[in-house]
Amino acid sequence: MSPAPHLLIEDLHTYFYSSERHAFIHSVDGVDLSVAKGETLGIVGESGSGKSITMLSVMGLIQANPGVLKGRVTLQSKGGSVDLIPQIEDYVELENKDQSIVSVKKDTVSWRKHIERTMKSIRGKEISMIFQNPKAALNPFTTVGKQIVEMVRLHNPSETEKSAREKAMYWLERVKIDDPVNRFDAFPGDLSGGMCQRAMVAMALASEPSLLIADEPTTGLDATIQASIVQLLQELKTDLGITMILISHDISVISALSDKVAVMYGGQVVEHGPARDILEVKDHVKNHPYTKALLSSIPDEKNVLPNGHLKSIEGEVPDTIDVPCGCRFVERCNAYDAGLKTKCVNARPRLVNITPDHRVRCWLYQE
Amino acid sequence: MGAPLLQIKNLEKRFSKRGLLSSFGNAETVAAVDDISLYVNENETLGLVGESGCGKTTTGKMILKLATASAGQIIYDDIDITRMPEKDFRPYRSSIQMIFQDLDAALNPKMKIRDILKEAIKIHQKELNEEQVEARAKRLLELVNLKQSKMNSRPSELSGGEKRRVGIARVLAVEPKFIVADEPTSALDVSIQAQVVNLMQDLQKELGLSYLFISHDLPLVEILSHRIAVMYLGRIVETGKAEQIAKSPKHPYTAMLWSSMNHQPQSADKKAAELMNLDVERPKTGCRFAPRCPVFHSNGRPSVCTDPDNEPKLPVSQNDDHVVACHFPLNR
Repeated sequence: MSPAPHLLIEDLHTYFYSSERHAFIHSVDGVDLSVAKGETLGIVGESGSGKSITMLSVMGLIQANPGVLKGRVTLQSKGGSVDLIPQIEDYVELENKDQSIVSVKKDTVSWRKHIERTMKSIRGKEISMIFQNPKAALNPFTTVGKQIVEMVRLHNPSETEKSAREKAMYWLERVKIDDPVNRFDAFPGDLSGGMCQRAMVAMALASEPSLLIADEPTTGLDATIQASIVQLLQELKTDLGITMILISHDISVISALSDKVAVMYGGQVVEHGPARDILEVKDHVKNHPYTKALLSSIPDEKNVLPNGHLKSIEGEVPDTIDVPCGCRFVERCNAYDAGLKTKCVNARPRLVNITPDHRVRCWLYQE
Repeated sequence: MGAPLLQIKNLEKRFSKRGLLSSFGNAETVAAVDDISLYVNENETLGLVGESGCGKTTTGKMILKLATASAGQIIYDDIDITRMPEKDFRPYRSSIQMIFQDLDAALNPKMKIRDILKEAIKIHQKELNEEQVEARAKRLLELVNLKQSKMNSRPSELSGGEKRRVGIARVLAVEPKFIVADEPTSALDVSIQAQVVNLMQDLQKELGLSYLFISHDLPLVEILSHRIAVMYLGRIVETGKAEQIAKSPKHPYTAMLWSSMNHQPQSADKKAAELMNLDVERPKTGCRFAPRCPVFHSNGRPSVCTDPDNEPKLPVSQNDDHVVACHFPLNR
């Protein structure tokens, strides 16, 4: 039997209460994902598809109120297997009506405490996270070096000031900040966006986690800086053998770094498998129609139609409150034929295996 | 073909470096836009690309007179508008319009889409009665492929793509001829981005618009633009037809920009990758790209590149010429 995956997410649901519409928004709807040790999983999807919320749920960063979680997340930590989301049913009573929550009775305080207790030994030590806007994530009033030293000592109280400083310097060098000796005492405001992102990576790695979650690490940076951050992540991946989950809407970034790819749409994983099967459109590979459409709307010469138009996906991302009862993508899909249509509109497809490691959620490929 | 619709000659924008005291005496200034010249023909799209901080947006703002030029000329429709008083410039305000980057800041959240559009129409065409204004607002929504039912929505009820369409509809309400589009798709998803770009192309054909398309999304610029100008630290370093710039760039910076798009694993040329990352201040003398330039370094740092009196200048371009400001242009 193959070893247990580094991180296993099973049937994860995340709900938010919208006070404007007096209903629960089903942001993450039954996500199943896994990432093996040393592997990089890329998650692609449009905004609102639930990719960031999935990872925030894993990290226990969803506020107990108004968010509601359901599901199971198992991490193979240094000390053995840990269940990251305590059994929420013990704390929260959900009242279900055909798969959507109608009301919740919850004991948020003790749930929150439970999550904090579990996550305290996980955040930083086992899983680190880097975010989209590095300038917002760094404290503007403290030097970059000091922030990394703080991080090192927080997770390893036995470190002395001096040894922590050496470690911080090592990581600054490791992420190739030029002139690390001087940058150590620089304030985040004095660094460029690319530099700040490097400092963030140094900080995330300084506590030596085994899993790094990068949420849109290159978005908002210039093309040249983006390329250099991608290169840095590539090097770290090969040198440190770290497991990585990379969230991005930029398919070129995902394809440069990922071994496995998950495509998300409307809160669900619609396709999950090896990167080469998903990101390169080949005729014999059975891809989800959404994946195909997404890939062909990237601005590129081969995606320009004879009239000069780009191929596009008509319509908008579906509403997450009035969820379509069939396939989420049905309104924008052009792949189904008349025979399938009733099925697509009325019944929800499951994520089924096309090959042993490639799963697709589409009626085209299942009975 | 007559004179270009918009012509910019030796345009400059200087900001003073220090705060309050700079108003006394000769303060040190920094040129955000430094002596640039370009032109846009009727019915044409000029793409303006470059890294953040290179002066793309400032250029766009000066064309709309949202920022005053420090030197140089902006000639629109054969008339110099650079220092025209606001009173005389008024008629041009409807002819030159801008699509802003920030979707949410551009639309009043308290107003319904109907009122947003009507307000713009009424300012432009005062003679119309209420019925005609309503009809015109409907026609505008049709132009940007929005359902009529959206009329009664407020901006917060719309998705990103829809907000962008409303933004475009409002710009069209005043019947412009020239539109500065500043990163119109940067906040949108890929699939929605393609819809908006297609819409912009259709409108250009239908209404005969000219665009100055400012973006850092290179593949998009390549597809949408007829010509491209590449900016680096306030200067235009290369301009030519879109295809020439993308396929056979002459300036090392242009080549670097385009190669950074395909994240190839472990670029073979380590030195080039290092230079790409380099984050440098503008050198005081000579070519401003020299410190990051692979050609400069591989040619053994020729002195002409750092010669203070010899910063490469962009030759004057007319008729879609492919011109470059470099002492050692690439030859591909």
